[in-house]
Amino acid sequence: MGESIIRIQDVRKVYLIGKERVVAVGRISLDISKGEICCILGPSGSGKSTLLNIMAGLERPSRGKIVIGGTDVTRFSEKKWALFRQGNIGFVFQSYNLMPTMTAVENVALPLTFCGMNREKRTRMAVQMLKAVHLGSRLMHRPTQMSGGQQQRVGIARAFIAHPKIVFADEPTGNLDTKTSREVMELMVAMAKKYGETLVIVTHDPDIAKYADRILTIRDGRLLSDKPNHSVYGNKEEQAV
Amino acid sequence: MKFRDMIAMAVGSLFKRKVRTFLTVAGVVIGTCAIVVMLSLGFGLRQSMENALKQMGDLTVITIYNGNGGSSSESESGSQSALDDRALKKISEIPNVTAVTPIYYLSPSVVNVTCRKKYQFQGMIYGVAMDSLKEFGYQAADGSLPKKDSAVEEILFGSDSAYDFIDTKKKHNRRINRRPDKKGNLPKAYVDLMEDKFFLAVNTRSDSEQDTKGIDIAETDSGTASASKQKAVQLSVAGVLAEDYSKNPQPSDCIFMDISYAKKLQEKYNKLNKIKEDSKSQGYDTACVKVSSIDKVSEAQESIKSMGFEVYSMETQRSAEEKQIRTVQMILGGLGAISLLVAALGITNTMIMSIYERTREIGIMKVLGCVVRNIRTMFLIEAGAIGFLGGVAGTGISYGFSVLINHIAAQHMGSAGAEAAVEAGEAAAQTAIQISIIPPWLAVGAVLFATAVGLLSGLYPANRAVKISALTAIKQE
Repeated sequence: MGESIIRIQDVRKVYLIGKERVVAVGRISLDISKGEICCILGPSGSGKSTLLNIMAGLERPSRGKIVIGGTDVTRFSEKKWALFRQGNIGFVFQSYNLMPTMTAVENVALPLTFCGMNREKRTRMAVQMLKAVHLGSRLMHRPTQMSGGQQQRVGIARAFIAHPKIVFADEPTGNLDTKTSREVMELMVAMAKKYGETLVIVTHDPDIAKYADRILTIRDGRLLSDKPNHSVYGNKEEQAV
Repeated sequence: MKFRDMIAMAVGSLFKRKVRTFLTVAGVVIGTCAIVVMLSLGFGLRQSMENALKQMGDLTVITIYNGNGGSSSESESGSQSALDDRALKKISEIPNVTAVTPIYYLSPSVVNVTCRKKYQFQGMIYGVAMDSLKEFGYQAADGSLPKKDSAVEEILFGSDSAYDFIDTKKKHNRRINRRPDKKGNLPKAYVDLMEDKFFLAVNTRSDSEQDTKGIDIAETDSGTASASKQKAVQLSVAGVLAEDYSKNPQPSDCIFMDISYAKKLQEKYNKLNKIKEDSKSQGYDTACVKVSSIDKVSEAQESIKSMGFEVYSMETQRSAEEKQIRTVQMILGGLGAISLLVAALGITNTMIMSIYERTREIGIMKVLGCVVRNIRTMFLIEAGAIGFLGGVAGTGISYGFSVLINHIAAQHMGSAGAEAAVEAGEAAAQTAIQISIIPPWLAVGAVLFATAVGLLSGLYPANRAVKISALTAIKQE
């Protein structure tokens, strides 16, 4: 499905807990194409989150190589990663991770603030983005004044605002009820499709995985299966109806 | 990330924790206040000391004594001991020396100054460099100081010289005392310094013997007699000097004439009375040197000393007192500094607390692409802002304290101050009441210092903040 946006080769991550070596991720290689909606599915402790963190540069692999959009980022310094993330990577978290002291607009505009965009422009973009996630009436609300679903929609707006190449979502519906989960997932997938962005979702919930084009199953740090979605759950549009 | 945004975020998080920010700032306010008020007391002390000294004498004038041959007999270097014109010229070339004048004391036995025949001048006669008087700060109350091209024979009277004339025709009460009556009016003197004509004659020995032996012998006509023996010349009076107690020689009961004229009169006297000239070789007894500013005095003084002269200036006293005051001021400032140090610890503590609370926020910022340096800058801005706010408020409050202290001091010393005003002039008394002075540079310095303390206190917390791992931060629930 088109050009490769994420390519990881023989990535391995070993933690040293006390004197014991714990293999979190063992020799995984995979390719994710541009515009793909990809789900990494696995139970807790399977190493799926570690894999995501490695792809996002939050953790360093013990071994292996990571190439994102043609750039070898394996040896990037913390500062380089930060700058790289500004324009290339968006994040959606399980616990939303909004800045508690900021309004919705400020939260959404935050990645642009870090880029150095001027206030007027980034506010305009943030307002537009919030309207796109149906939060036009909550622009000046703080996270504590919003429901979980609303907060996560703010999170999604924030992840997509800088139009990154890739959006990572780590258990994005972990704290939400089923109905809200569905809304959030649909929104996220729609946004990714709309902007042609690559979406990597990490979850333990097979119901979430059904929104993806491709499902990677991980267990004990190893890639168990790698299948296009319709072979497992069928087309997501049918499911959603 | 734009600097403006960093400031906005830093200030925003300060405002989020209002109480804590306020308390931390209050700590800095107290610290700044302590330092500024303490130092201001020191400055007040210094100024009142300088004012006191100023009343005793001009702080920028050095007096040179020609140790009366002492230096020539005991001198180590020898050659430089004569305080003559050559030496004075050399002294005038010392850096920062603006004027030099010899003080030549013309003995009353040498000349006789009279007015309307019977009134005789009894004050001092000094030979000075008339054109340097202006530099030394002498002012004319009437007439004017002689200009550079004025005739050598021009003289200046002291402020009270009119009362220094005695009536030689009288046996008793020959002098009118300069004592105000009950209404505060001064009695009328025998002569009018600006209107009357004054004559000068060089005495011969017989006259002067009469003079020195006592008024009783010379009672009949000491003044007129001498004047008749030698041809009296009319003096041209340039002006009358304004009173100034801080000057040496003091311009009150005296006549100032140019040094060359005074020397000429002395020579004439020596010739008439067949006295061998030795005054020339000895040079002058005294000379005064004016220096451009107070802080150059000790330097110039050392240069003159090294030429082999004995010198005296208020500087000797001033520098000793200033050293003492500086010590006091340092102790006071040190006490103040302790409280600012405590405030600095407070800032560090507050910032560390804030970092613990915001570990997750810092993590999020990192994940969203905030560069480490920006995070550090934001924390430093926060700490610096605490210091700055505290510094500004503290300085403001210090001004209030200063006014209050001076007000209370003025009330307590009110009566003493009023007496001082009568004696020393109002300006001096007004400043004497100020026991707390905050110079502008101290205010600016205090704000800068408080800000610097804030930044310094924030350094450790800021570095700690940037070390927070993005991953552990966002995992935190």
